[in-house]
Amino acid sequence: MYGFEAMTFNIHGGYLEAIVRGHRSGLLTAADYNNLCQCETLDDIKMHLSATEYGPYLQNEPSPLHTTTIVEKCTLKLVDEYKHMLCQATEPMSTFLEYITYGHMIDNVVLIVTGTLHERDVQELLEKCHPLGMFDSIATLAVAQNMRELYRLVLVDTPLAPYFSECITSEDLDDMNIEIMRNTLYKAYLEDFYRFCQKLGGATAEIMSDLLAFEADRRAVNITINSIGTELTREDRRKLYSSFGLLYPYGHEELAICEDIDQVRGVMEKYPPYQPIFSKLSYGESQMLDKAFYEEEVKRLCLSFEQQFHYGVFFAYMRLREQEIRNLMWISECVAQNQKSRVHDSVVFIF
Amino acid sequence: MGEENEATNTQQSTTESEALNFLDSVDNYLILIESLTSTLGQGWLELSSARHSMGGSRLNNVLLTLKHHSAPTTVELDYDNAGSMTKSKAPQLTLSKWKPSATQESNESEATTSPLKTENHRGKVLSMFGGMVSPKLRASQLSFETALETLVEIANVRSSVLEAHRALKLHKG
Repeated sequence: MYGFEAMTFNIHGGYLEAIVRGHRSGLLTAADYNNLCQCETLDDIKMHLSATEYGPYLQNEPSPLHTTTIVEKCTLKLVDEYKHMLCQATEPMSTFLEYITYGHMIDNVVLIVTGTLHERDVQELLEKCHPLGMFDSIATLAVAQNMRELYRLVLVDTPLAPYFSECITSEDLDDMNIEIMRNTLYKAYLEDFYRFCQKLGGATAEIMSDLLAFEADRRAVNITINSIGTELTREDRRKLYSSFGLLYPYGHEELAICEDIDQVRGVMEKYPPYQPIFSKLSYGESQMLDKAFYEEEVKRLCLSFEQQFHYGVFFAYMRLREQEIRNLMWISECVAQNQKSRVHDSVVFIF
Repeated sequence: MGEENEATNTQQSTTESEALNFLDSVDNYLILIESLTSTLGQGWLELSSARHSMGGSRLNNVLLTLKHHSAPTTVELDYDNAGSMTKSKAPQLTLSKWKPSATQESNESEATTSPLKTENHRGKVLSMFGGMVSPKLRASQLSFETALETLVEIANVRSSVLEAHRALKLHKG
């Protein structure tokens, strides 16, 4: 019953909620980002990060550092924290935590399949997979020629199996239908995650509904913008939008027929929560749209910590860490390329 | 006496024009180098921005295709002897962008590629990163394309710098 979580949540979830709130206090602050933005080299960044929770992960890395090394090591920290929480969790929290990683699993499947299509070695593809999305039979993805084989040989025994029903065909895999497969899988995953959270009920359902609806809406906008000028038809584009969210269903109908960024703006400005996002952009421009969406997402994720006794804090923490890693990646790239004047183009402050 | 002075003046003005020609060529060369540095810097930053937007797993060097395919862009080298004061052959590079090669089986018989086909070629190359890529990646592609044009121009201007230097030395020496 909503409102009475305080009576029972701490029995199974109290320890992990305390853990995740402790982890949250370790997120980088604006002062940390200001120091990082003033670094001249990647070794300076490493030196500044040694005073943070990333210190133990970077201290043994030899110079010269590379930006991908910094991202890899910071991701390892997130993976370690996640694995600790997962092994301590009981049902239904453990299922909730596993849901958080299915997006990475989808990305890894698409990476392996695309790389195999391009005749790349499986081992080098596996090295580039996200550690949160790994599963036992991932290497055998390389043998599949079409989606039916992909499902039958490998994915039927993975958590992604239920998401394949909408995209199983016998067509050979190529770049466009892999892209459609990626987006169809992600749509099915988001809808499944949404239904699971609704079933949990209470504060978890309320907070996660808002966060997942925002995710679905953002994906709809990105799919629309990225498919402009491609061979994807309006009907196929419409099928990739999720069946929930603020834009569902009328916003999706309008987005499906957009041919340029200004038409997308025209659709989104009808929705009050998205007006401030698009008001930051000038006409015809989409470069700052990602940053504007990330800022809105971070605001919503931080708000979820204001309430106790729900699972949304775990989702929010994982997403905030991923945003932090994106920030570190961008700062490192700007420092490495001697473009420090552009560092604030994409850094999103969390606190 | 007057004829000797006139010959000396003519030789001096020829030397001066050769020197000006050389300095102009060097100036063009330096401007192009600066333009290339700026374009490449912009291209790399746009690529990083695309990676930030799409994610590291979608924009990765392991996704580059190893399948055999013909290059849609070629550079042809020709030796141009016309107008050369030193009678040595000056190399001239010509860039052909987004045009099917002569060995490729194609139904297209036209020598030039229409803008629509150029866009299709561009999209096809980027499709190795997915069917729907971020506009930032497309912007990065255009920057690197511009950088390639500048590189070819630099090579040709360098050739003219060396030619002008040779002509100057010839007149002085």
